[in-house]
Amino acid sequence: MLYFSELRNKKVYTEDLIFLGKLKDLTFLASDTPKITKLIVRNESGEDLFIPVTYTNRIDRSSIIVKKNYLQEEMVANELFILKNLLDKQIIDLRGNKVVRVNDVALQEQPFLYVAGVDIGLLGILRQLGLEIYMSRLLLSIGIRLTSQFLSWADIQPIELAYGRVLLKKEEKKLEKIKPEDLATYLERTNILNIRKFLKILDDRTAAEVVNFLNVNFQTSLFRQSRPERAAKIISLMDPDEAVDALSTLSSKKREQLLLLLDSEKRKEMQYLLRLAKTPIGSIITTEYISVDSDRSVKEVLSEIRKKTDEFSFLPYVYVTNKEQQLIGAFDLHELILEDNETPIYKFMVPNLVVAHLTSSKEIILKKMIKYRLSAIPVIDNDRHIQGIVTLDDAIQLVLPKLS
Amino acid sequence: MRFLWSKYKLRILLFLGVFGPATITAISDNDAAGVATYSLAGAQFGYSILIILIPITLLLAVTQEMGVRIAVVTGKGLGDLIRERYGAVISILIFSILLIANLGTVIANFSALKATATMFHIPPLFLILGVVFFSFLFITKGSYKTNQRLFLFGIIFYFAYLFSAFNSQPDWGKATLNLFVPLDVKLSKEFIFAAIAVLGTTITPWGQFFVQSFIIDKHLQPDKLKFSQLETYFGAFLTDFFTFFMIVATAATLYTHGVALTSGEQAALAIKPFAGELASLLFGLGLFNAAIMGIVIISLTTAYAFSEFFGITGSIDAPFERGKMFYGLFLFQLLAASAIVLLPSVSLFAVVFYTQSLNALLLPMIFFFLLKFTNNKDLMGIHTNPKFYNYFAIAASVIIIFASSFVVVSTLLSH
Repeated sequence: MLYFSELRNKKVYTEDLIFLGKLKDLTFLASDTPKITKLIVRNESGEDLFIPVTYTNRIDRSSIIVKKNYLQEEMVANELFILKNLLDKQIIDLRGNKVVRVNDVALQEQPFLYVAGVDIGLLGILRQLGLEIYMSRLLLSIGIRLTSQFLSWADIQPIELAYGRVLLKKEEKKLEKIKPEDLATYLERTNILNIRKFLKILDDRTAAEVVNFLNVNFQTSLFRQSRPERAAKIISLMDPDEAVDALSTLSSKKREQLLLLLDSEKRKEMQYLLRLAKTPIGSIITTEYISVDSDRSVKEVLSEIRKKTDEFSFLPYVYVTNKEQQLIGAFDLHELILEDNETPIYKFMVPNLVVAHLTSSKEIILKKMIKYRLSAIPVIDNDRHIQGIVTLDDAIQLVLPKLS
Repeated sequence: MRFLWSKYKLRILLFLGVFGPATITAISDNDAAGVATYSLAGAQFGYSILIILIPITLLLAVTQEMGVRIAVVTGKGLGDLIRERYGAVISILIFSILLIANLGTVIANFSALKATATMFHIPPLFLILGVVFFSFLFITKGSYKTNQRLFLFGIIFYFAYLFSAFNSQPDWGKATLNLFVPLDVKLSKEFIFAAIAVLGTTITPWGQFFVQSFIIDKHLQPDKLKFSQLETYFGAFLTDFFTFFMIVATAATLYTHGVALTSGEQAALAIKPFAGELASLLFGLGLFNAAIMGIVIISLTTAYAFSEFFGITGSIDAPFERGKMFYGLFLFQLLAASAIVLLPSVSLFAVVFYTQSLNALLLPMIFFFLLKFTNNKDLMGIHTNPKFYNYFAIAASVIIIFASSFVVVSTLLSH
């Protein structure tokens, strides 16, 4: 295996031994096997020569020889630089699930020269300094053996999409390997421009999920700067409680603009939640729940769930109301499936519910949920009308900072 | 009033949301080393040294604002950018100098802490280990929010200097006048020296690193840039507002009565006969607080810089397991510095001198990077330096570079 640091600044000669300049950079094709395409050679007058790798006779640790009748070529789509785009930059280690810096780039020579992966270890830095052999000997003498920390090309993703020429379909496939919540954490280490580039190559649904997990500062900036149509699309796909948090930090003008772009049902939901935003549980209450009439049959309820809940991120319980729309019971999906198709639901629903009110504090709600082992709790007003629900994963946010 | 509140409510809330990093950084420039320097300057030159305060405030505001702008716009720390644009070799060089210089400054702060221990009759070992323990506990266990609150709370103790200054019964008219008009300045080598020393403890390499890292850890976004800039100017003002009172307190007592100070840490005791018990106590309390601020912030700076240069997790929000290197480096500095201070044989003068020299060496490089980054369109987009601003920034950098090298060279020549 060959390292970029071993080639960098190496003198480049033609086959009749005329000095061309020093190797400054290499380009490669962003693809599954990232083939090296060009040598960037800086000549003595400071110009950069773009020499295709097909003109090289030899490229290894000892020397770089180029054919004398070489021709230069322009950069093409999908080409990236090793020095400019990869070395010393931050990448996502897809397996180790963290952000690291590239200390050196490893090249494979057979069957042709391509980028095998990156070295993120101490050895990579030492190699860049030219101290690799010296230091590893020194450390070996005190019993420490240094090894390369190698990540293969398939397992990394540059954290910045700074290159306009790359066709981004390839990136998207790699990004599918990362969980949205992790991607959000990584992206928080870069700037808003870069986050927007990433979101652009993701489909709307995944983009909304990533935005869900971003820090609210980033969410606000995103909605301020994105095209309103796109912002509205993302808002409609986000978890309602997260979307409302972000919306309520925007100026009222911007908020109205975005609300107008939502379809009427979503807009009503958002406006409703925005009104609740001032209550103690405003930031965690959501309207993603389903309630049905108590005289419905199991079959009817199942079909209603299929029709209405495909956008839900979580559905633990079905709530049951009477003719006056008052909450009278609930059951979970397991109980529902166990029953016969024609059974009316009031026969098996749980009538005595643990409920919360808009004035309840988050702590009380969380305590209730833990005590009665609920994954969600309905929030009702004085007339027992459901105002929304609080799910455990939202309520748990309250204590999450204390755990980490 | 209510009308005003509702009109500006959003803006005030936005500003408060942004508030923190720039003010904390600027205030930490008044660390114990800073307080000692101001006390010495006030004792030696009286009110006349106040003339440099406004220029220094401007310089601090401009240089910090560049860092703030880079951090908010690019979302990257100085370490990140240097590594990505100038490679590993330069990064290691810069980091090594920063590490040693910061360690030196932390040592200076620990030594001030030791001095206050003696003043308050607390065993130095006990106090120092206590500070190390609690600093480590709060930084590892506390979130960003908690720690930011603690730092901001620390600012309150700087008001102690206001009380000290008032108790010293200074000539306020004279003091204020000297701020704007060079009335009593007797230009001498020593005066220039003192002026530059004040500048050198206020504008520091670590300050430039810290403000960017701390903003990034807060996830501030470009749409709030205006507020961050406003905060930077406020922070610079607040810092030198306190400096003013520190200088006045020693000028009104020690200078007026012709008492010479051998070291800045002794100032609190020295003003006692003239300003009274309470003023002396408050002055000591201020120094104690400044030392802790310095110790924590500067050690944190090195840890942040390391994680930026070498790409490891670096955030005070990170749990201990993920940020072992980050927290480890923080603790290492606390322990190393306190060990050195507790050893009786270490010459503190030498430590402070070499630290100053390293900072003087580092500062030109930092300003080179700052100017490079703030003028780079790819990085900054529409937020590059305006032309006029650029000239001012370059002039400011040249003044600071010249000043800090002057101190080092002339100290070298006179020893």
